[in-house]
Amino acid sequence: MERTDTVLAFQGVTKRFPGVVANADVSFEVCQGEIHAVVGENGAGKSTLMKIATGLYQPDEGQLVYRGRPVVFRTPGQAIAAGIGIVHQHFMLVANFTVAENVILGAEPPRRGLVDPKDAASRVGELARRYGLRVDPAARVEDLSVGEQQRVEILKVLYRGADLIILDEPTAVLVPQEVEELFEHLETLKRQGKTVIFISHKLDEVLRVSGRVTVLRRGRVVGTVEARGTTKERLAEMMVGRPVLFDLKRSDRPPGEPYLVLEGVSATGGGRTVLRDVSFTVRSGEVYGIAGVEGNGQTELAEVIMGLRPVSTGRILLGGETVTNLPTRDVRRRGVAYIPEDRHRRGLALPMTVWENCIIGFHRSPEFARGPRLVFTGIFTAVEEAVRRFDVRLASLDSPVQNLSGGNQQKLILAREFRGSPKLVLAAQPTRGLDIGATEFVRQQLLDARDRGAAVLLISADLEEVLSVADRIGVIYNGHIQAEFDARGADPKVLGQYMTGARGQSAEEATPGVATGREEGGRRAS
Amino acid sequence: MKAQSVTKAKRKRPRGWFTVLEVSSPVLAVLFAMLVASIALLAIGKNPLQVYGTMVAFCLGRADSVVNILYKATPLIFAGIAVAIGFRASLFNIGVEGQYAIGATCAAIVGFSLKGLPALVHLPLTILAGMLGGALWALVPIWLKVKRGVHEVITTIMLNHTAYLLVHYLIAGPFMDKTQVIGAGGAGSPRVRMPEILASARMPELRGFLESLGISMPQHSSVNWFLVLGLLAAVLYWYFIWRTPLGLEVRAVGHNPKAAEAAGIPPGAVALKAFLLSGAVAGLVGLSDLLGYFGYFDIDFPKGYGFTGIAVALVGRNGALGIVLASLLFGFLSRGGLGVQVLERVPMETYYILQGLIILCIVIATDVLRRYMRAQEKREEAAADV
Repeated sequence: MERTDTVLAFQGVTKRFPGVVANADVSFEVCQGEIHAVVGENGAGKSTLMKIATGLYQPDEGQLVYRGRPVVFRTPGQAIAAGIGIVHQHFMLVANFTVAENVILGAEPPRRGLVDPKDAASRVGELARRYGLRVDPAARVEDLSVGEQQRVEILKVLYRGADLIILDEPTAVLVPQEVEELFEHLETLKRQGKTVIFISHKLDEVLRVSGRVTVLRRGRVVGTVEARGTTKERLAEMMVGRPVLFDLKRSDRPPGEPYLVLEGVSATGGGRTVLRDVSFTVRSGEVYGIAGVEGNGQTELAEVIMGLRPVSTGRILLGGETVTNLPTRDVRRRGVAYIPEDRHRRGLALPMTVWENCIIGFHRSPEFARGPRLVFTGIFTAVEEAVRRFDVRLASLDSPVQNLSGGNQQKLILAREFRGSPKLVLAAQPTRGLDIGATEFVRQQLLDARDRGAAVLLISADLEEVLSVADRIGVIYNGHIQAEFDARGADPKVLGQYMTGARGQSAEEATPGVATGREEGGRRAS
Repeated sequence: MKAQSVTKAKRKRPRGWFTVLEVSSPVLAVLFAMLVASIALLAIGKNPLQVYGTMVAFCLGRADSVVNILYKATPLIFAGIAVAIGFRASLFNIGVEGQYAIGATCAAIVGFSLKGLPALVHLPLTILAGMLGGALWALVPIWLKVKRGVHEVITTIMLNHTAYLLVHYLIAGPFMDKTQVIGAGGAGSPRVRMPEILASARMPELRGFLESLGISMPQHSSVNWFLVLGLLAAVLYWYFIWRTPLGLEVRAVGHNPKAAEAAGIPPGAVALKAFLLSGAVAGLVGLSDLLGYFGYFDIDFPKGYGFTGIAVALVGRNGALGIVLASLLFGFLSRGGLGVQVLERVPMETYYILQGLIILCIVIATDVLRRYMRAQEKREEAAADV
């Protein structure tokens, strides 16, 4: 079975942590010059495995065979010396250093004990040219786009002489164009004889770029398959252990009246303008998606709607009533469900119990409190019901929510927020960090709310998600809605151009048939 | 029917082992602290076993010691609760010290100035004055915190000093007992104090009640009904934190103000309420001494209960029962320290060493236990998430 061109083989690798088996008897082989994808849900053991390959962990059982010889990497340094490098999902760069300085940092070419910046820049430039990684060695990292920063990370690994490059969720932070560019780089690397391990859970990308795919589930290898001979559905089923529906169910009912209207809303934060003249309308029974690269005002947009951040100019209407700068409680009282982007900071009080987190915000409703007294029969009946309806898996309602998995925490937030029937659902990055099963569930819940007649505002940095869930899409860049699109037939590349600011700024470029709110907003600004 | 059985199954957990650990860990911590303190005792040439033996015998073997421990624990219960309410809302009320000084002053003024009221009206009014004084002194720091973001630790510490100075001015100035100056009976210098609190505002001792139950009391006892009020306050505190909507809000704001805010709970308003409540309870701290023992407010009125209250809340882990037990422990140590000082000639400093070590050991033991329990719970949840 042993293939002659095997670079790295995992042989019966097992790694245990107190109470969990992260990897159980993992065996597969990575061949010379291939792009090998490793896929699996959160907690399937992908990162533990890669930490073993890069010397951060040592296996409890089994072994690594690298270039035909059993190896044990005691430190990351040993793995690097052997030619294995990793590009982490979160970049490890010094923002105010140049590209060249970042690349050589920690592996500076010695020249009489000093670093020669010119020499470094020319070496890094030469390396970048050889692998077609377009980036200026003299540029400061803080001035680079996310895609360029990733190239710097790849250069760092190449500079250290890696032959086997591991990329951990490399596309999570990229816009569509940058993903295309990354894939071109990977092809170049492959042609130059490098081997790539590509870790991801985005199955479309995996199928496009990789030769073979190894699927992990709960620490075990489910199988290694040829990308050409499989489908997204088949891979998802291997990952999850059951068939996954990628086609979300939605009714064709036309949307109703405008429910949430923003008119020329601006806001500041930390002394600068974070929202500029934002206008859009979300109608009952539709999903309005806000697409954009993170940090372009999405957080602040959700906050001004929820009354968590003051609006400086403009106004916000809910069902025809002005709610601008009303306290959060009064906004919520009008039937607003809020799924915050950061469930640990905004969504839950982690040390508090499941039942407490499940009623907070509603704890003074007559069902839960009579005068100065909490009514536990009412609380537990309702919490039981909500937990069952939203399929939150838990051992005890008295357990602190920090013990739950991310997916279950998010389901718990949904269970709380969908209490009653909300008229507006504001969902910010609702599937971030969730596995396929939970993601599917959350998206379907949003569409179900839409079909029940709720207005849904979906803010997401995941363009794929916005395209598959929303009816209409507004692209936010630099605190401003650059353009609006009908989700059907929207071109991801065009959206991507607006997301990066390559197109836009002037409202006139937007697709015809946009909401009335933006026209008014535009006039007010002029 | 089915829902109920599910509820029961989900709420019940094998708690037995946890309970054993929870009860035994503070005991073990105290024993460990005593072991470490033995080093200090050995260093000064004392036999630790003999010292501890004397301590226990002196404290528990004599009725007057037991009564004295209860008396000493009384203000600490209130102080511990006051600090704990703040901790629940993630506020550090170091100002209990100043708040009880002001509270006791207000109570004293109401206690000696309102004449001709029946005790049934006068005493509650006096107690209320104490609570109002404490809350008033807590208002400034929390107002500055909510409106201006000034940290309460700074303002409460500063206001402690302000309180002492204000109280001294009031005692020696507007509210000084002039009769002490004019006709004190020639016994040296006149006493600087406020007038005697009227009998209608005094808190009765527990002696009568206990003796009617057939419990014989030592000759010198000043344990009074504030002990009962303290225990009642502990029960109310438990109810407030765990059984009321406001208690839930306080804990939510304490654990994660951002999440509370997003849920529609105004964190500032909740912090304000919690801190004022903390101040009001702090206003009760000095009243056992004032209305149950001294009967007047003077320049030597006991200080330091507020600071000990911080230790009580820490050792008692902000729990009602824990605070009561910790108060008794500190009462015990204080009495025991006195005993070994007299009987074994062990300096009072060893008492402070022991007290510090106990606080340290209990806090560490608690944290270790908490982590262990969380790991256990996490494992259970992982098992349920299939």
